Amino acid sequence: MTDDIPIFIGGENIALIPLNIENIKLYAKWENNPKVRIYSRNILPRTVEEMKKYLEPSDKRPKNEVSFEIWHKKDNKIIGFGEVSDINWYNQQAYIGLLIGEPDYWGQKIGEEATRLLVEYAFNELNIFKLKASILVVNKGSWRCAEKNGFTRVATFKKDMYVNGEYLDNYVYSLLKEDWLKLKK
Amino acid sequence: MTEEKKDKGDKEEEDDDVFPFIEGETIDLVAGNSKWANLSCKWRNDPKVRHYARNIWPQTLEEVKKRFEPLPDKQMRDSIKFTIYHKQSKRPIGSIGFSRINWVNRNANIFAKIGEPEYWGKGIAGEASKLLINYGFTELNFHKIYSGVFTPNKRSLRAAEKLGFEKEGVLKEEMYVDGQYHDVHRFALFKRDWKKNNE
Repeated sequence: MTDDIPIFIGGENIALIPLNIENIKLYAKWENNPKVRIYSRNILPRTVEEMKKYLEPSDKRPKNEVSFEIWHKKDNKIIGFGEVSDINWYNQQAYIGLLIGEPDYWGQKIGEEATRLLVEYAFNELNIFKLKASILVVNKGSWRCAEKNGFTRVATFKKDMYVNGEYLDNYVYSLLKEDWLKLKK
Repeated sequence: MTEEKKDKGDKEEEDDDVFPFIEGETIDLVAGNSKWANLSCKWRNDPKVRHYARNIWPQTLEEVKKRFEPLPDKQMRDSIKFTIYHKQSKRPIGSIGFSRINWVNRNANIFAKIGEPEYWGKGIAGEASKLLINYGFTELNFHKIYSGVFTPNKRSLRAAEKLGFEKEGVLKEEMYVDGQYHDVHRFALFKRDWKKNNE
């Protein structure tokens, strides 16, 4: 059954696989879910049609973002997506982003593993020099994912995002490839 | 209009909109300008020049003009080109640049062409190449710069060695030039070696 899953990067509990137009309704469900969208900072209703634009092939070469579905191996289920985005090829920098769209899977260190796979991919395959992550102050789960993977908090943007009636701080995390290599030893 | 007058007119006009991007001793590397399309077209079709630049197709002015059109917004460039501008004679004499840029592997092909044969043999291509290589390593952060030279192009073979390039390999009978196949020598220069040589 899982033979036809086009695994691009395999992990322990999850794998990163290409986006799939057949799952477009799932993407729309996640982006609209109030529990999820607080963290992904989506304040606009997302139609299925809008979500389709994510899947339109880009003519940018090299791509300035690479997105994956996160596939849960044991449950054979798509549970979110991860991406390396805003790639700046001149300076070899990029942002890393993650969304676990099924809250049932929160708190199971899946984000941590997905982050690890994305970081490895960015450093070892894309030749990225420095990764960054932008994380809302209330998104403790994501800080943990970043910190467990060696990211350090390098900036706090005060009152950066308006969420549920108030301005919240936003953290910027950063990880240099050279520091990541040291950590791996 | 005689050729002489036309040249003069061009020169006067050129002075106020040539902005050096990289400054050298005898030449500057400047951004291309569509007003040089005619000149570029001449270089591309000139039998002496195109023999070495390996252009076997006639190039119409329309085709050449297209090369001066701006790229779509935010598109990563797979080539970066400059016009070689002679400082004393105040005229463009050739072009140089990187092509086949691979931003992931951080490498690119270097090409250079002096379109005015009267400027050959004066070390200008060497000077321009040094400026471009420095730009490639210190601003674009390339890991490796490479070039292919076909056997009869002795001038380029020597120039490549003088610039510190090392031969990586030979592609046998890779290029058909003037009725026969020629080997192509592939040369490469790594940032670490270039840094050592320039300390």
